[in-house]
Amino acid sequence: MSDVIISVKNLVTEFATDEGRVRAVDDISFDIKAGETLGIVGESGCGKSVTALSIMRLLPQPIGQIMGGEILLQGENLVDMSIEQMQKIRGARIGMVFQEPMTALNPVHTIGRQLTEVILLHKKVSKEKALKEGIAMLDKVGIPAPDIRMTEYPHQLSGGMRQRVVIAMALACQPSLLIADEPTTALDVTIQAQILELIKELQNEMGMSVLLITHDLGVIAETSASVVVMYAGKVAERGSVYDIFDRPTHPYTRGLLESIPRLDTEPKSKLTIIPGMVPGLLDMPKGCRFENRCRYRKDACLVAPPTTETIADGHEVACYEWRELKTNVGGGGDSVNFKLSAVA
Amino acid sequence: MSVIPLPKKQAESLLRVRDLKMHFPVKEGIFMRTGKYNKAVDGVSLDIAPGETLGLVGESGCGKSTLGRCIARLYQPTAGEISFEGQDIAKLGRKPLMPFRRDIQMIFQDPMESLNSRHTVAQILEEPFQVHKIGNREFRQKRVKELLDLVGLPARSVTRYPFEFSGGQRQRIGIARSIALNPKLIICDEPVSALDVSIQSQILNLLIDLQKEFNLSYLFIAHDLAVVKHISDRIAIMYLGKIVESGVGESIYRTARHPYTQSLISAIPVPDPHHVAHRQILVGDVPSPINPPSGCNFHTRCPQAMEICSTVVPTLSDETQPVSCLLYEASKT
Repeated sequence: MSDVIISVKNLVTEFATDEGRVRAVDDISFDIKAGETLGIVGESGCGKSVTALSIMRLLPQPIGQIMGGEILLQGENLVDMSIEQMQKIRGARIGMVFQEPMTALNPVHTIGRQLTEVILLHKKVSKEKALKEGIAMLDKVGIPAPDIRMTEYPHQLSGGMRQRVVIAMALACQPSLLIADEPTTALDVTIQAQILELIKELQNEMGMSVLLITHDLGVIAETSASVVVMYAGKVAERGSVYDIFDRPTHPYTRGLLESIPRLDTEPKSKLTIIPGMVPGLLDMPKGCRFENRCRYRKDACLVAPPTTETIADGHEVACYEWRELKTNVGGGGDSVNFKLSAVA
Repeated sequence: MSVIPLPKKQAESLLRVRDLKMHFPVKEGIFMRTGKYNKAVDGVSLDIAPGETLGLVGESGCGKSTLGRCIARLYQPTAGEISFEGQDIAKLGRKPLMPFRRDIQMIFQDPMESLNSRHTVAQILEEPFQVHKIGNREFRQKRVKELLDLVGLPARSVTRYPFEFSGGQRQRIGIARSIALNPKLIICDEPVSALDVSIQSQILNLLIDLQKEFNLSYLFIAHDLAVVKHISDRIAIMYLGKIVESGVGESIYRTARHPYTQSLISAIPVPDPHHVAHRQILVGDVPSPINPPSGCNFHTRCPQAMEICSTVVPTLSDETQPVSCLLYEASKT
């Protein structure tokens, strides 16, 4: 297991709210291998961003707390680390890219100052050297005239360019893990394509692992080797990208895949829906958290949450009905054929 | 000048827009003089038939929302014609516009911002009737209940405030308000962009159901081509204030002709890991509409740009799938 970069084991994160403690992340586990991209997909409030913030130890203080589990970065447990130790890891060994580049950049400092700050903080280099490295980094992320851009402020750049700057900052110290939390959600599709391509290229070049968080199943299918589907703070299903898209087993995964309009569906046809909505964290069902929206619900689902079971090599599902569901993939019943003809 | 043709059987159009322009003055310098204009919408022509959905796709800043707002007459367009059932409403003043405001309604992207947070659902849904002085209190209350039922919200919602609802439910309230006065045309400006996937499909289904029931026409504005294709009969692609290509959804997607449409379609991530993307990645960003490039305004990013493209402005061709590109003009002559 030496090639595992980060290993999250039974992570539990809670928030203290006025109405009581809520569990935003409840017992989730996954590994990311060197050079691999793992995608976490789920709807808003499912805990995917809290997972990322837990790994970075950037939970809002003092209300957010890691209550249990381990986060092993190349064998070292981040949960036990002091603030000083974490500061040495953030930016150096784990880089992070957020959804909205404007909020990730400081509007009153130049790009150059913000970019060299990362380098000076983590590397023992002179200012001149840091400046040079910064320019080289901007060049690497495809920013034209990088030496001029270094003297400019974030507001002078377009959204796509800003996201490139944020990526340059995240990767300036060659981290072994890049966490990208909805990196392209605020961008147009043509710019999204540029940014995803850029992350892929840099990943190949630098050999880092990527944890990609998104709600867009298309982005997941295109970038990730393995996928974690989260629902209401728990892992619903986990597997390779082919397990999730070709053999989706959890009713939630299936619902998600069926409900998205695709370019090759019949116009104005009824989309399959997942009825209702995600329950609030304060009034979670006692049993399976998807129980109130699930069309396969049985009595057992109401009593206690299902445990995660391995249904095939590397493919895990948390559902009582998985045996039943596994047999009707791709035909019969109300499941649809997921083998889509590739779009020409 | 060519326009986007309607399907043959629906020769009668509900909405007819011709050469619409919306230029916003840009104030500069210490004297705030108007030096330049932001040509957000620059010569757009389109038709919408009764019961039809026209999808309008483009990237941020292409002018699609401005076009929608001009048609809803939230803006006074700089030039051009907006004919609704035969009457030009482009220059009508406040009073004569009132009856048209009943017929043309709007659904916004963010229901939290478009619903008054200090009003109950009942107040929000009764307001259209009060503004247009329709019915008495009893009638309004009855109608509010009907509306809630139509959009799938429980009748007890009337006493609640917008913040008590989820994003999807709030969008249902916005939809209920938009259909309150039995409009003929609804401008849907990114109505599902802020919603989660599982909620998005619920709202799309609702919009399709309502259209069938009331023979509504939609101008459906969105940046997500998959969503637009699903709900639309015809699609128009916009780039920097102009329509570059339009046609039936299926043919736009199967046989896109404009290089911009082609790269837009190729940029969409396909939710299928077996799919091999043949991507035409566009370089650079959308140029500013204040200083659009000369000639064809897409030539700075176009993978197939020719020399002539920087000087000659293409016009929308007069075909079943009109396209505004010199590649096709050249091949004709």
